[in-house]
Amino acid sequence: MAILKPLLYILVYPGLIFLLVYSTFCEWFDRKLYARMQNRIGPLHTGRSGILQPVADIIKLFAKEDIVPEKADKHMFSALPVFSLAIVCTAALYLPVWHYSEAPSFNSFSGDLIVLFYLLSLPTLIFFLAGWHSTNFFSAIGGVRVLTMFFGYEIPMLLALLSPAVLADSWRILEIARFYQNRPLLMLVNIIGFFIAVIALQAKLERVPFDIPHAETEIVGGQFTEYSGKKLAFFRLLGDIEMVVGAGLIAAVFMGGFPGGLLPGLAWFILKTLFIIFLLTAMRAALSRIRIDQMINFSWRWLAPLAVLQLFIVIIIKGMEL
Amino acid sequence: MEFKVALGPQHPALHEPISLRMTLEGEIIRDADLKLGYNHRGIEKLAESRTFIQNLYLTERICGICSFSHQTCYTQGVEKLMELVPARRGLYIRTLICELERVHSHLLWLGVAGQEAGFESFFMYTWRDREVVMDILDWITGNRVHYSMNTFGGVRRDIDELQKKKILDTLGLLKTRTEYYLNIGASEPTFANRLAGVGKLSKEKAIALCAVGPTLRASGVPMDVRKDDPYAVYDEIPFEVATADSCDVLGRAVVRVKELLESYKIIEFLLKNLPEGPFKVKAPRKVKENEVYSRYEAPRGENVHYIKSNGSDKPERLKVRAPTLANYAATIAMLKNGFIADIPLIFAAIDPCICCAERLVQLDNPRSGESKVLSFSQLRAMANDRYKKINFKKKDSAWPF
Amino acid sequence: MSIKPGIFLPELLRHLFKKPVTVKYPFEKDPVPKDFRGNVVFDPPKCIGCMICVNDCPAEAIDIIRVSETEKKFKMILHNDRCIHCAQCVDSCPTKTYHMDGEFETAVLNRHQLKIEYK
Ligand code: SF4
Ligand code: SF4
Repeated sequence: MAILKPLLYILVYPGLIFLLVYSTFCEWFDRKLYARMQNRIGPLHTGRSGILQPVADIIKLFAKEDIVPEKADKHMFSALPVFSLAIVCTAALYLPVWHYSEAPSFNSFSGDLIVLFYLLSLPTLIFFLAGWHSTNFFSAIGGVRVLTMFFGYEIPMLLALLSPAVLADSWRILEIARFYQNRPLLMLVNIIGFFIAVIALQAKLERVPFDIPHAETEIVGGQFTEYSGKKLAFFRLLGDIEMVVGAGLIAAVFMGGFPGGLLPGLAWFILKTLFIIFLLTAMRAALSRIRIDQMINFSWRWLAPLAVLQLFIVIIIKGMEL
Repeated sequence: MEFKVALGPQHPALHEPISLRMTLEGEIIRDADLKLGYNHRGIEKLAESRTFIQNLYLTERICGICSFSHQTCYTQGVEKLMELVPARRGLYIRTLICELERVHSHLLWLGVAGQEAGFESFFMYTWRDREVVMDILDWITGNRVHYSMNTFGGVRRDIDELQKKKILDTLGLLKTRTEYYLNIGASEPTFANRLAGVGKLSKEKAIALCAVGPTLRASGVPMDVRKDDPYAVYDEIPFEVATADSCDVLGRAVVRVKELLESYKIIEFLLKNLPEGPFKVKAPRKVKENEVYSRYEAPRGENVHYIKSNGSDKPERLKVRAPTLANYAATIAMLKNGFIADIPLIFAAIDPCICCAERLVQLDNPRSGESKVLSFSQLRAMANDRYKKINFKKKDSAWPF
Repeated sequence: MSIKPGIFLPELLRHLFKKPVTVKYPFEKDPVPKDFRGNVVFDPPKCIGCMICVNDCPAEAIDIIRVSETEKKFKMILHNDRCIHCAQCVDSCPTKTYHMDGEFETAVLNRHQLKIEYK
């Protein structure tokens, strides 16, 4: 029994199987919403209203020819997609969705916020390596842009995530979530941080307006230019799962987590992540891609100072409470 | 560190094959060059072996977007050669379709600008509203892309009262939508900041490099064939030439939107003043020996056809200068010292129609890089040689070989 | 003009509750316009064999062949794979032998299937 629960946790819920199913659903939700905002239909034919389209896309990619460029570093080139997928799946385990024990365990301990945050940063590094090891001009430019952008959004995002943690006086996501569940009004204090985190998440996911590293009309597929077949499918899946995990992280830290045990917790998780994905989609639809220098400018001129301001607000409020 | 890269001939930003050779320093372009000739179709040569009537449909197929521009340019040239005065009602209808085509082309461009800048919603909405114009064109000419409306001496189909009313009704919708897009494009910072200050082309340089169309007008030069050398019935129509002084991609967008608004006024004027009478007159089949230079303001700029006749029913020479070709020199100047991220925007801002502009193909030896010049007789001998060697299959032998 | 981030958003959100404009093409078809140039249809008895259409067709898609030595009877072979649907033949024919139908889904896998003979 002692081994069964962690195993279930890792493989079924909220581990691998749930993640795969839910992330493809989220992609469908994102695409459908995006299409409807643009007065289009969106995915339609595979499954009911096209709900299986992301799955079909991935199966199709798996069936396609898998090409490794001659000059590329073969081992790195093939290993990177798998690694990155493994990393984000691991990151998902730290979301406080279902806790079978209150005591600190392998998936919930003091400081797991930082662990989760850095697990989410690793794919960015892998994107850079993927671009660099493809030995393609467009990939290299894409890889460099990935890193440049990383320096822009990472610090504001960390600062933004820091403020709710400071207010809750804990580094454990579960405890932060509990804190805000008990005092829902305090969530409003972090509203600036919430929006900064959503914007930074959009940048992390490399979606419009921050799809600079793989801006199709400029540098073809960016870091993914040389990837095809299975490997590209892994990267696509990675994007979907990263979106779910990122949305879950923001929901857990800023929106009071997912209370109520197994089933209510699941309902809260779906509700809250879908809300954040809705925000991400609306941002994607309403804005245009910006240039890399504009992005860096924006994050250091607006995001970072605002995140610091948020931190100050939190510290002052904390001082008043004490 | 400087390195050389080639964008294209296959690249997502380019809808047709062309190669941009660039010398980059990080994300900045230090030097640029263009390589053409990937889509040479031999249209001019083909035109020499067709009758004037057959060439109507050949010239129409030079371009897909400005099909009517090329056809009208050719038709007007041949009408001058024939010394034929077209029917007045026919001319009005012809001008009407010119303007409708300009509307659909400019709306298309707005969408393309959105797409190149990564503003997909803008692209979707402009193209949705472009369907309104496409439907009008479809409805009055029968088809969406190749209208085939021109014939020597007028047009081939008339417009009835119902069609007239319908076009006038939809103009209001188009006008509000266009104004809305102007507002969006200029107010959305992520989009406007991508366009403003990008691809600078000063007035002097624009003139020196012989830019045409909106590219030239956005540099503050009010040059428009419709005003300077009026054809069809443009001398009777009151309209303004749209210009902008910002000399950048944003200026080119603004010029196009202003032209859209002017076009709606022109269409309204044409429909309200449509004269009665026949819409075409009979044209001769043979053309006297002569030559003509026909100018036309296509949505992309000045379009030129040179036609030479020799007394038979076929032209001796047809030379087409599409507006895109005239803008290439300016494009290279605009690309220099820009960002990689701006390449698609700068290039799209001239509204390139690449295969319309291909009149020549130069074959280099890809390994040694050397190029050869062949005289016409050598080329002919080479072609004859080639064709002797080919074994045609019986089944396909009827045509095209 | 002033700078307003997200100015497009109201329009986008409004359309969430509107019907998409996309036409589900192969399942729903828009009607073709009245002057639509579809396939060429030939009416053999009307033809007088003047060959104007053969000379005017830009794609050389028409063959007119005399079927009997004594009578003025002609058959037409239409190479629909070459036809560019310009309707010049409809305009050129002095006896109005041709008209265009509204058919537009004519794709086949083999171009030779597109040859049509009108007797
Ligand atoms: S429609 Fe045009 S191409 Fe087709 S047969 Fe008639 S004249 Fe020839
Ligand atoms: S133009 Fe008309 S009458 Fe003359 S050959 Fe053709 S079909 Fe027959």
